Amino acid sequence: MTLIAHAIVAAPPALLSSDGLRGRRLAWSEAAAGLGLWSTEWAPDMKLERPDAIEHHRLVERICAAQPCLPVRFGTAFASADAARASLDKRSEALHAALERVAGKSEIALTLLWREGPALAEPTPGTGPGRRFMESRKAEFNARDSRRARADELVERIVAELAIERPLVWHETCTSASVAVSLAVLVATERALERKADLERVASGFGDVIPVLNGPWPPYTFARTE
Amino acid sequence: MKELTAQDATLLELVDRLLNKGVVLTGEATISVAGIDLIYLGLNVVLTAVETLEKSPVRRAS
Repeated sequence: MTLIAHAIVAAPPALLSSDGLRGRRLAWSEAAAGLGLWSTEWAPDMKLERPDAIEHHRLVERICAAQPCLPVRFGTAFASADAARASLDKRSEALHAALERVAGKSEIALTLLWREGPALAEPTPGTGPGRRFMESRKAEFNARDSRRARADELVERIVAELAIERPLVWHETCTSASVAVSLAVLVATERALERKADLERVASGFGDVIPVLNGPWPPYTFARTE
Repeated sequence: MKELTAQDATLLELVDRLLNKGVVLTGEATISVAGIDLIYLGLNVVLTAVETLEKSPVRRAS
């Protein structure tokens, strides 16, 4: 039997229904260091599929609603409960610290999508193909640099206007042609909707991007221990 | 290039968190979703592969 890991919590475990992925048993494995792992008992020959990822998310939401939890990266499997316990014991100090950091908090996600494609300068008319190529490359680089600078500026404005402490925000800029900013904020769960509305208010004031708000979610982005 | 909608962005942000965030424990196995190895899927790859994920459950990312 394999265990598909969902979330780490401090012992004792909250009372949860025993339904794991695809209705299989949700198991609790308690380590020596006062930590435990919620996981689904899984058959080694069963493959995880896309809907399992979403169901894992729902399970993590359920666990985190019941007690402070650290979501485990989807796809993490253990050959046995002993292997799971050993893994927790090995990093118990860091896991306890991470649990303390995210206790009572949730994650709000903000994605800013560019409204339009980049503005590219036209090559000089009447020039040869070599120069046109070079000018076109230069225009692309300039547009990319300009977008990166604008994305950084958007992040700074959000952080400043909402007075977010730096350790509570994570962001990446220009991760694809469409995405200007991907940002996550760790907020107190009881104020999550209020903070989400604040983020929406600030982000909707930017004319060149479309804000997409998500969450509150379990604190995926802030659960790292390394 | 397919234009990214708000719905795509929501899905991609969630998938990114499930696959790339959260605690990494030792002893984990690389398991695949729809034939694509999870651990190696970054947001950028997911962005280009979102249609593949939707339409082709057996295709493997190289």
